[in-house]
Amino acid sequence: MDLAHLLPNPNDAPETGDTVMVRALDAWTPEQQISRMLELCEAQMESALSESDVAVDALIKSFTGLIEAGQALGSLSEKTPADAGTADLRQQLEALKKQTAAAVVAFQFYDKLTQRLGHVRYSLSALAMFVCDREKSGEREQWRRLFSTLRRLYRTEEERQLFTMMVGGATAEQARDHIQQSTLTLRNSPTGDVEIF
Amino acid sequence: MSGAASHTSRVILAVDDSASMRQMVRFTLESAGYKVVQAVDGVEALDFAKGNAVDLVLTDINMPRMDGITLVRELRGLSTYKFTPMLVLTTESGSDTKQRGKQAGATGWIVKPFSPEQLLSTIARVL
Repeated sequence: MDLAHLLPNPNDAPETGDTVMVRALDAWTPEQQISRMLELCEAQMESALSESDVAVDALIKSFTGLIEAGQALGSLSEKTPADAGTADLRQQLEALKKQTAAAVVAFQFYDKLTQRLGHVRYSLSALAMFVCDREKSGEREQWRRLFSTLRRLYRTEEERQLFTMMVGGATAEQARDHIQQSTLTLRNSPTGDVEIF
Repeated sequence: MSGAASHTSRVILAVDDSASMRQMVRFTLESAGYKVVQAVDGVEALDFAKGNAVDLVLTDINMPRMDGITLVRELRGLSTYKFTPMLVLTTESGSDTKQRGKQAGATGWIVKPFSPEQLLSTIARVL
């Protein structure tokens, strides 16, 4: 893509119109454009996450209400003399308990998502600053250091595997295959491991 | 939603900076009859623990102000918490971090997401 037309012409007289735009054009370098795009991606992610937080908060409030209603029904059924009706109610409550347990696991993925996207946002910000530093971004060793710093950021197994793959030169298609495989594994076994020391 | 009678005297301190995680832990533990006290980070948890007795600490790792591993180490330094079970509940599964947790004095390690059944059985094992 030819972006040369965006470069300011040094012979042009100072513009009197949109000063913000003039300042943006004066500062034009390919690195700054990359940096701006990365910052934009980071900001979009933050905005989307903030919106999701509001929705998830509402969802959790509703979920809390459902659980409390279930608990109240459970207490009531325990106080009621046993008959066919209470047996049926207890059966329904048991089914509700199983559904609740599945929802508790699913809700935790939102927390994991927030955490993972937080790491991506940090990576984008770090890269945005890095590319603007021509001295650093021109050196292979500095890139190695950047990757090493970002690697420490990724804490979950999924993040680490993906990072190692991509930094090792995997293609986007290979990454997609890996993600599909991981998702399949997750469907079969959604919960984490436990270790007692 | 039932079985709330057996653990009514046990107090669990749940530490996590994520409100949704604290809620999920609270639902799970209260439904089994535990009393749950929540803290948003290590500093708040440590302040509470210094003035109150708890039967078990369940903590996340990455939190602002004070992380979970530091919290475990600080609590182990207090005579009242020398033998209190302390479980780490985290998305981290790396052996290095786990080793640091173990050295700090953690009793066990649970990788998120937890299932209510799994969390309760783990707690029952260490209490």
